[in-house]
Formats: sequence, C-alpha cells, structure tokens
Amino acid sequence: MTTAGSTPIAPPFSLIAELTHRCPLHCLYCSNPLALQGAENELSTEDWKRVFAQAGRLGVLHLHLTGGEPLVRGDLVELVSAARDSGLYVNMITSGVGLKEDRLSALVEAGLEHLQLSFQDQEEAAANHVAGARAHALKLALVPLIRKFPLALTVNLVVHRMNLDRLPEFIAMAEELGPDRLEIAHVQYYGWALKNRSMLMPTEDQVHRSIAIVEAAKQRLKGRIHLESVVPDYFGSFPKACVGGWGRQTILIDPIGQALPCHAAAVIPNLVFDNVRGHDLAWIWQESPAFERFRGDAWMSPTCLACPRKEQDFGGCRCQAFLLTGDAEAIDPVCTYSPHHSLLQTLRGQTPELLPIWRG
Amino acid sequence: MMDKDSIPALAHGCRLHPTQDVLLVPEGTLQLAGPTRDVLARVDGTRTVTAIVDELLQEYEGADATEVRSDVLALLASLEQRGVVRAQR
Repeated sequence: MTTAGSTPIAPPFSLIAELTHRCPLHCLYCSNPLALQGAENELSTEDWKRVFAQAGRLGVLHLHLTGGEPLVRGDLVELVSAARDSGLYVNMITSGVGLKEDRLSALVEAGLEHLQLSFQDQEEAAANHVAGARAHALKLALVPLIRKFPLALTVNLVVHRMNLDRLPEFIAMAEELGPDRLEIAHVQYYGWALKNRSMLMPTEDQVHRSIAIVEAAKQRLKGRIHLESVVPDYFGSFPKACVGGWGRQTILIDPIGQALPCHAAAVIPNLVFDNVRGHDLAWIWQESPAFERFRGDAWMSPTCLACPRKEQDFGGCRCQAFLLTGDAEAIDPVCTYSPHHSLLQTLRGQTPELLPIWRG
Repeated sequence: MMDKDSIPALAHGCRLHPTQDVLLVPEGTLQLAGPTRDVLARVDGTRTVTAIVDELLQEYEGADATEVRSDVLALLASLEQRGVVRAQR
C-alpha cells in the first residue's frame, strides 16, 4: 500500500485557468459548476500573473485559458504575454464570440499558440439550440480568420444523443474547416450537464456506431488532421483515469482563485480548496489537503486495493463516484466490480427527457 | 511526403521546450529520445532534409551517412503523420 506524501510529487503537467464564468453561450452540457462566480469576485490581472509565474517555476508545461469565455477578460492579451514569459505553452478554449482580427492578432503577438473552438452541431438551428445562443455562423466565419495566423487550431465536436446520428456529416463539416486537430468528445455528466443527462446520454447503439465512425475518420484523416476522441462516460466496463489521476497531472484554478484537482471536484463534500490569493501554487499542489485527499491508495476500497488496474485508472473518477452513489470513496460505478454498476445499465436503458434545461 | 529535398518545418503550435527534452504540441508533449532533439533543432523551414543530415554527420563523427539519412527521414515522416512537422518543397 502506498500513501500520499511518501515520495516527492511530480509537478502538474497542465494548469487550467478558468479566467471567468461569464459566457455568451449557455450550453446544455456546460461542465462548469451549478453556482457560477460573478465578475466582482474574479482574480485580478496581478493575481493571475503571479499564478502563471509560480506555475512556470513549479514545472507546469501547458496552460489552458478557459472559462466561461476567456475573451470577456479585458486583460487577456496581458495574461497571455505573462504566461509565455513564465515559460508556459498557451492554449485558449473559446467560443470565439466577439473575436475580431485585431484582438486575435494581439493575442498571437503576445504568444498564444493554440486555439480550441467547439461546435455543437453541423445544422445551424440545432447548434444554436444546444448553445443557447446564435453562435454557430459566427464560429464558422471565424475559422478562415484564425487560419491567417501562425496558430494551431483544434476544432472540438461535442457529441451526445441529439447529434450522434449526424456524426458523419458533423465530421465532414470539421474536415472542411481544415483544423490541425479534431477532437470528438462525448459529453461528460458534470456541472450543468448532469441536469440534462437523460436528454444528452446516447443510446448503446449510437455509441457503438460512433466508435466505428470515429475510427474510420482517424485513419482517413491521418497526416492531415490529428483526430483524438474522448469515449463516452457510463458505457465502459472499467473507469477512466480521470484527469490522469487525482492530483497527478492537472491543477485547475477557478475564477475566484480556488485550486481544484478537476472541474467537478467542488461537488465532493468536506473538501476545502485552498486559494491562490493566500497560498503559493507549489504548496497547494504538494501539500494542500484537497490535493492529498485521493492521492495514493490509502482511501481505496479493498476491491480497488487488490486490483492491478489501480495503477492505470487510479481508482477512477471520484466526482462520478460521489454523484452516482453519494460516497466519494466508493468504487467508480463505471467499473464492472462496483456494486453500483447496474445503476449505469439502468441509465442506459432510460427513455430520454425531452425538455432541455438552460442556465438562467 | 517527406523526401531528401523536402524542407520540413514544425507545425503551428509546436515548439521545442527550451530546457527539457520534449516537443510541446497542442494538448500534449512528445518525449524526445536520443538525437531527436538535434534533428528537430534544425527543422526550421529553411533547411532541406539533406542539409539537416549533412550537419548531423559533421556533428556525429564517424556516423554512417546512409543510416543517418534513413533515420532522419523515418523520424520526420512519422512526425508528419502525427501532424507536428509539415513538409514544404
């Protein structure tokens, strides 16, 4: 049995900076928490610059600027520049809404290296419906502009029950946009997305067909567009190594400065998330109780402790275990050895909810 | 396709880490084993594959030219497939 803290902890590979929760979109599958932070509580420019400098010293390689919509931050160019000066690789995940050529040019000049743009559907009305905003045409129009700059572009297709039957056409749309990378990601049921789970969750048949379609696209696009796919939650027999394992690869800072091991960790009761306003990032990563909580295997059930897969999946997703069973230490129900595994089989067989729920 | 006259360049959003032996790419890193870093340091969109091989042969005295050329071509072709190196003519 290994316990946390017995060996030096390797630095996180990536820092996810949720610069703001403000966003022009209201996606049905939003992964942000149910309670969003207001602009008045957001970290200042100086706070973020300090965090980026600490991240660089800690050995973080990748920075993901996200939100909400990072473009609503008036200091974004300054933040990108500070991040590059700190030695970080700078990626921005954006809806693109409101992005004009002069601002994009300033961002690239400041050191932005990779931009990630997600699409909700290839049919405009359906896409706008899911996004809760008329954004689809704007996104399409933005791509040729982005391609004028020396910037890597990832197009992200978010898939679920409502658009999976159109996956080949959706991929064809992305192919025509000519990105460097294409990500096809099944919705994950955290944050707001959990509210719409029954409407978003695909059928088994859709999942199986989509896997074959994605594999074929991967082969066809090889050498032109690098395709990566995120498999759907709830359909496997073994859990994912969520965020590469708790406190192993990823640190997320939310808009008010709380440091979390992943997007969803705030759902787990009795975890205290230390804040970058009061603590150094290295201390938070190496010593803060929230990051230590599920490191190692001391917390695991006897079943997981005895299982060789614990070195691959690190016990699966703690948030999923909590959301589905009410116990954050439970075996991830995706695992076939979980006493709650039948719960997922029930969910897969459910009739979908027809009414979507958008954020207010 | 990458051949001896190609002029390889790193794709947008890909760069060598200044101190560690990794190539930073969108959403990831590629570990650079052995002489890979020496090859990629010369992949700058101006040198041909032949020029890169010639420089490496000067650096690695006694290396077999045929072997170096085929290793460099194989490496660049695989990175091209991965989308992190682009060949120009």
